Amino acid sequence: MQFIKGLFFLLIFPGLSFQVVCGLAFEWIDRKLLARFQRRVGPPWYQPLADLIKLFSKEDIMPEGAYDLVETLLPLISLSAVLTAGLYIPIAGFTPFSFEGDLIVIQFLMSVPTLAYYLAGIASVGIYSLLGGGRSLLQFFSYEVPLLITISGPAVMAGSWSIAEISRSQLDQGPFIVFQPLGFILAVVGLIGKLKRDPLDIPSASSEVVGGSLTEFTGAKLGFWHLVMNIQAVVGIFLLANLYLGWSNITSPLPAIGIFVLECLAVVVVLSATSAVFARLRIDQLAGIGWKILVPLSLLQLGFVILMGV
Amino acid sequence: MNKITIPIGPHHPLLKEPLSMKIDIAGERVLGASLRLGYVHRGIEKLALERTYVQDVHLIERICGICSHVHTTTFCLAVEALLGIEVPPRAQYIRALMCELERVHSHLLWLGILAKHVGLETVFMHTWHDRELALDIMEGVSGGRVSHAANQIGGVRFDLSEEQEAMIRENVEKLKTQVGGVLDVIENEPALRARTQGVAPVSVELIKDYCVVGPVARASGVDIDLRRDDPWPPYDQLDFKVITLPDGDAWARTLIRALETRESLRLCETIMHKMPDGPVTVRAPRKVPEGEVVTRSEAPRGEVVYYLRSNGSDKPARLKVRTPTLAVLSLLPEQLSAIHVADIPVVLAGIDLCIACADR
Repeated sequence: MQFIKGLFFLLIFPGLSFQVVCGLAFEWIDRKLLARFQRRVGPPWYQPLADLIKLFSKEDIMPEGAYDLVETLLPLISLSAVLTAGLYIPIAGFTPFSFEGDLIVIQFLMSVPTLAYYLAGIASVGIYSLLGGGRSLLQFFSYEVPLLITISGPAVMAGSWSIAEISRSQLDQGPFIVFQPLGFILAVVGLIGKLKRDPLDIPSASSEVVGGSLTEFTGAKLGFWHLVMNIQAVVGIFLLANLYLGWSNITSPLPAIGIFVLECLAVVVVLSATSAVFARLRIDQLAGIGWKILVPLSLLQLGFVILMGV
Repeated sequence: MNKITIPIGPHHPLLKEPLSMKIDIAGERVLGASLRLGYVHRGIEKLALERTYVQDVHLIERICGICSHVHTTTFCLAVEALLGIEVPPRAQYIRALMCELERVHSHLLWLGILAKHVGLETVFMHTWHDRELALDIMEGVSGGRVSHAANQIGGVRFDLSEEQEAMIRENVEKLKTQVGGVLDVIENEPALRARTQGVAPVSVELIKDYCVVGPVARASGVDIDLRRDDPWPPYDQLDFKVITLPDGDAWARTLIRALETRESLRLCETIMHKMPDGPVTVRAPRKVPEGEVVTRSEAPRGEVVYYLRSNGSDKPARLKVRTPTLAVLSLLPEQLSAIHVADIPVVLAGIDLCIACADR
């Protein structure tokens, strides 16, 4: 029984199937919203799925000299990392594997795709891939530190490093976004950087480095990469909803699910609107902003939280 | 850091037309660049010698997909000068109207491309949407969105009905509002300013050394505009401002095109207001008397020069076209040094290349 239950958690909910469906749904909502911001119609709901099926049916080509085994393993490792991260995130208060310190584990697992992305750039020998890979690492160093400092704010406030506990404590204290609005904004910026989304899509800017690290990828490998990006986005959105918006832990399940979905949609709207209204930054500008503005601000927010607790 | 060479083109997401650049970079710094041209050479100048003047008007329209009208206008001005015929005033005004609309749609197209290159796709979508208003006017009066076939030797091919004039006024009014919004974004969007301000500034000396013309020169503070300096009719009867900016960086080049779009729309209104009545064409003989002539006009990207020599037959003996892009292209390696890799699209978009014009 324990085995079947575990298998259900891993493969159906909150594991593989649920996260893939959420990832595709996220991609559609994001693309549709962006299209509406830009006076376009946007794709039908099945477009992300159709894209994925098409990619998986395409021929797999790698350039001569690329490390084929590495290139196959990297998207798979990234996928398993983000899927594992997804297992530990409470969904509408439901969390099968929660433990003290899972926030740190998720942060670590969520960084795996970025490192894999860098390695993919190095291993696929193309010039644009090389540039994109280098940029992704530079970007990683710019957003990761402020992001880590920022998300310790809710943890300090709740007195726990477990996401489920942080989420639960907001029932008594009120949503943390009220106390840490700056922290929420910084976390959104960090998430955008992590997801390499417009306006921080510096590693994959098409007018500069064509496709970034993924320039040489085709077929199923590229499909896996797209899946990784989408699921990473979903995990990030779930994380923000749990850390800052809270309130999805009320005991009756139906309203809890409703509140959680609305919270996640709100974060998606913020992400889409940001990518619609801002131009892409240059990598040196991002590094400057990251260390000169984001880090001091996140420290300020953390200091404020600690002082409030005293 | 090691020097590596990245190829940009002949096929690259950055380029809408084929052009090949080899760019030397070290890390994120650009060290230098070399260019290779000629991918869209179609031999139009030679082809024009094989055809009659009447046919050449249509051939020359195909030199460019954006500023097609100004090319035929300059060519017709040349032939008309050799023939010694006077184009009726109404035809002159319709030609000028098309020229200004072409400037509007060319500048809006360009603004969209720059926005897309710096990752501001929303502005791209919006400007291209607004640009359709200008294209609608041109399609409504001539039947063609891009190749209008408006000009013929001795006048224009169509007259404006009252409904068409009302439609033009209405669309120009709408465009003015939209361009106001675009200007607002360019002036106030912080990331766009951060990406373009101070990038690849071009000095007045450099502009003069390379004979750069058009908006790029005006953005560096060089006060040249053929519509005012050497006007062809009816521009000598029209009143408009020539806009110059002092900075010469990518941001000035962005802003000046938005400002020029607004000025062109104002000029469209003046043209519609002053539009005289009368015929739109005079009969022109097919054979052109012996002689040679140079005509110039202000295209959206700057000065276009046509040299035409006739030997008395119905076909030209020599036709030479000089487009503004050629001068700007020679400035490109100069600009593509000591910048960031991320600035390459901004620099390339900033000078508004028209490779088809340059290669012919």
